[in-house]
Amino acid sequence: MAGLKIVVVDDHELVLDSTVTVLQRQYPDAKISTAQATATALTLIEQTQPDLVVVDLALPEQSGQVSRTETGLQLLRTLLQRFPTLNIVVQSANAKSLVRLKPSINTHEGGFTIAEKSLPLKEMLTKVDWAIQGVVYTPREMRTGLEIKPEWLEVLRLAFQEGLQDKAIAERMRVAERTVRHYWTQVQDALGVYPDAGKNNRIQTEIRAREEGLID
Amino acid sequence: MRTGQGIWAVLQRELQLWRSGALPGLAVIGLVVALRLVGGLQMLEWFALDYLLRLRPPEPTDEHILIVGIDEDDIQAVGQYPIPDGELADLIQTLNQSEPAVIGLDIFRDLPQEPGHQQLADLFRTTPNLIGIERIFPRTIAPPPALPTEQVGFADLQSDPDGKLRRNLLGAYDAQEEFSFSLAIRVAGKFLGDRNLPLESGLRDPYALRFGKAELPRIQPNTGGYRNLEKPTDEVDTFINYRSGGHPFEMVSLRAVLAGEVPDELVRDRIVLIGVVAPSVKDIINTVAVSSTAPNPAPGIVYGVEVQAHAISQIVQAALYQRPLLNSWGESWEYLWIAAWGILGISLGRFLGTPWRVVAGLSVSCAVFLGLSYWLLVMGWWVPLVPPLMILLVNGAGITTALFYRYQQDLKQQLRDRQYVIDHTFNAIHNGPLQTLSLLLRKTHSGDLELPQIEARLKDLNQELRAVYELVRQEVLTRDENLHLAEDQAIALSESLDEVLYEVYSYTLKREFDYFKTLKFSVTTFEPLDTTGLTLEHKRNLGRFLEESLCNVGKYAAGATRLDVTCKQEEGWNVIRVMDNGKGFDPTQPTTGGRGTQLAKNLEQQLGGQFRREFVKPKGTLCELKWKAAKIKSHS
Repeated sequence: MAGLKIVVVDDHELVLDSTVTVLQRQYPDAKISTAQATATALTLIEQTQPDLVVVDLALPEQSGQVSRTETGLQLLRTLLQRFPTLNIVVQSANAKSLVRLKPSINTHEGGFTIAEKSLPLKEMLTKVDWAIQGVVYTPREMRTGLEIKPEWLEVLRLAFQEGLQDKAIAERMRVAERTVRHYWTQVQDALGVYPDAGKNNRIQTEIRAREEGLID
Repeated sequence: MRTGQGIWAVLQRELQLWRSGALPGLAVIGLVVALRLVGGLQMLEWFALDYLLRLRPPEPTDEHILIVGIDEDDIQAVGQYPIPDGELADLIQTLNQSEPAVIGLDIFRDLPQEPGHQQLADLFRTTPNLIGIERIFPRTIAPPPALPTEQVGFADLQSDPDGKLRRNLLGAYDAQEEFSFSLAIRVAGKFLGDRNLPLESGLRDPYALRFGKAELPRIQPNTGGYRNLEKPTDEVDTFINYRSGGHPFEMVSLRAVLAGEVPDELVRDRIVLIGVVAPSVKDIINTVAVSSTAPNPAPGIVYGVEVQAHAISQIVQAALYQRPLLNSWGESWEYLWIAAWGILGISLGRFLGTPWRVVAGLSVSCAVFLGLSYWLLVMGWWVPLVPPLMILLVNGAGITTALFYRYQQDLKQQLRDRQYVIDHTFNAIHNGPLQTLSLLLRKTHSGDLELPQIEARLKDLNQELRAVYELVRQEVLTRDENLHLAEDQAIALSESLDEVLYEVYSYTLKREFDYFKTLKFSVTTFEPLDTTGLTLEHKRNLGRFLEESLCNVGKYAAGATRLDVTCKQEEGWNVIRVMDNGKGFDPTQPTTGGRGTQLAKNLEQQLGGQFRREFVKPKGTLCELKWKAAKIKSHS
């Protein structure tokens, strides 16, 4: 992964350092920059146009101020709005507060994964890797049963009942092929289908969709 | 940020207050001042002056003046009119035996009235303390030819346009361009001159006339209540400060003098004025400031000789005893006085607050104002009375009306607030404990609930009921900007509406409802809505509406496997739609969720939107509220 640009945002210097160290070891060629407050983070992201942003939720607006989840949520909101294809990893101890961003996450076209801070290092790196691949991952407690969007249902129907390929689906739905791929990642997150070596994602998705009764 | 908003709010409030309170008040002041400037208040101010003069405390009879009033009976006794010169000569001679200071003959004698003309002409020539009269303005009447010029004063009296006499002409140029003095000046001049108080020119005003310290204030075209008074600039006149009381001067008849019935001391050293007080002669003037003391006086009418007595008396009394002469302030002081009372009137409303206090304050102000004006007049100052009174009353009435209106509005607001609290309380009870209770009832009814489960539910219910107070208190009293779904679940309404609604959806679907359990999946769309015109309260109620709609699915949508929740803009409408594929409740049965429907109906009305709740084929229920941002009623 040459030329990978990463921005890490965390208010704790210690956490920041360890995250950077781990990431640098995993991606030796990556250029990693850091920020400790949302204001500086936003400027940094605008300037460097990174491939991946790793953000903490509890953040201050300016360094030195009190860290608040609200502030971190606002940063995320801004990022989702202004950088629709940015890959984002959210490091958080409390994923529940992200519930209200669910509608925005669902329409986000970049990768979006949530890595609980308590996760082992390896798991964390997996979430980072997924995000870079454009995968969407939200933890169980953020969900309200199986929740899907009408567009995703249509993709499933066209793919598994009419046997269409993405290109054809895009034509039928009058959207870009990229959007169809984005629907796939979203519906896969909803169904709990994630990249797994040796398994075919699409087939896994079909199996899960039939299980849940999304398609007949 | 918050303090900035605070200051701005205070400023805006104050501006609002001034716009609705002070500006009309200031406009009233301006209007009244303008009205006064164009002379629109002149008549009222004259009337007020006359009326106040009449109200003054009575003064004792003037001991320096005696009026010999030739009345109707005198004329009858003499047997002819005009009174012949001989009779007048007899009268003057009789009077002179008692050594009066000066005699003013207020009867025209330009022509001989036989018999006895020669006798009178001789008297005119030989009596230095006798003053006669002429008329200098058209139609002019010559003085008695035998009388030396310095013993002649003019008797011209100039009434105001309303016919009432308030001014006394003291000196003016006659037809021959000679400066002449009035009878009053001649008589008073003789009387005071003998007492070392000769006629001099004024000290403060060089064109005014003065006896000792008594400078007679000149009237200008805009003095006092006068507005553009038409008079030659070289005329000198002053206000008549009528001597008040029922008996200002002693008056005796011609018969009484000739019969020797008049005591010596009524004549000695006095000013004796001789005039006709018979109605048939019509030497009368109009005034309401004083009444005539002649026999059978008619209201509002005083005889000429009486007016001369008042005019002479005020000069003599001022010179000898400093009795006040009637004066007025400069124009600028008058307008300052008017404006000051006007501003006081406005402050009444600003600082007293309640209507009754304003009415009381207004009464006190008016009383103080009238008392002050009266006192000033007694002290000789004619100050503007009508304009400030008008402003006080108009502004006071305006303020009081406005306050009563506001009071009414406050009452309405209170009722609205109360309704608001009631609604809130019911919403909190209905969407929380009542739902749990109805669930419990249904379960116990069907008998598929074990005792421990019932107990657990009851505990929940207990908890929910106890939380109601805190929920309502937070939402209603603290102007909380959150929607409280449960004790520990507050949603910030300041967030965008779609986020708020999503949180409501997300939280509600986790609640313990039977038919949520059968749901396999839900199809959701949460997209930004056009929130233009929505208040926090609207947002709160939209959240409640979604909560209520979802609860209904949980309670009634038996066997539902799919739930569709849509919050988005569709063809210009903001749409919140909840649809399930369950059995739903019987449409022929009255709905048990009356309160929820009412909430939806209220929202529909407030937002000018549409609410519907209906069956969908083949099975399921649709609940939808949609509105257009442009149609929201700004105030509901």
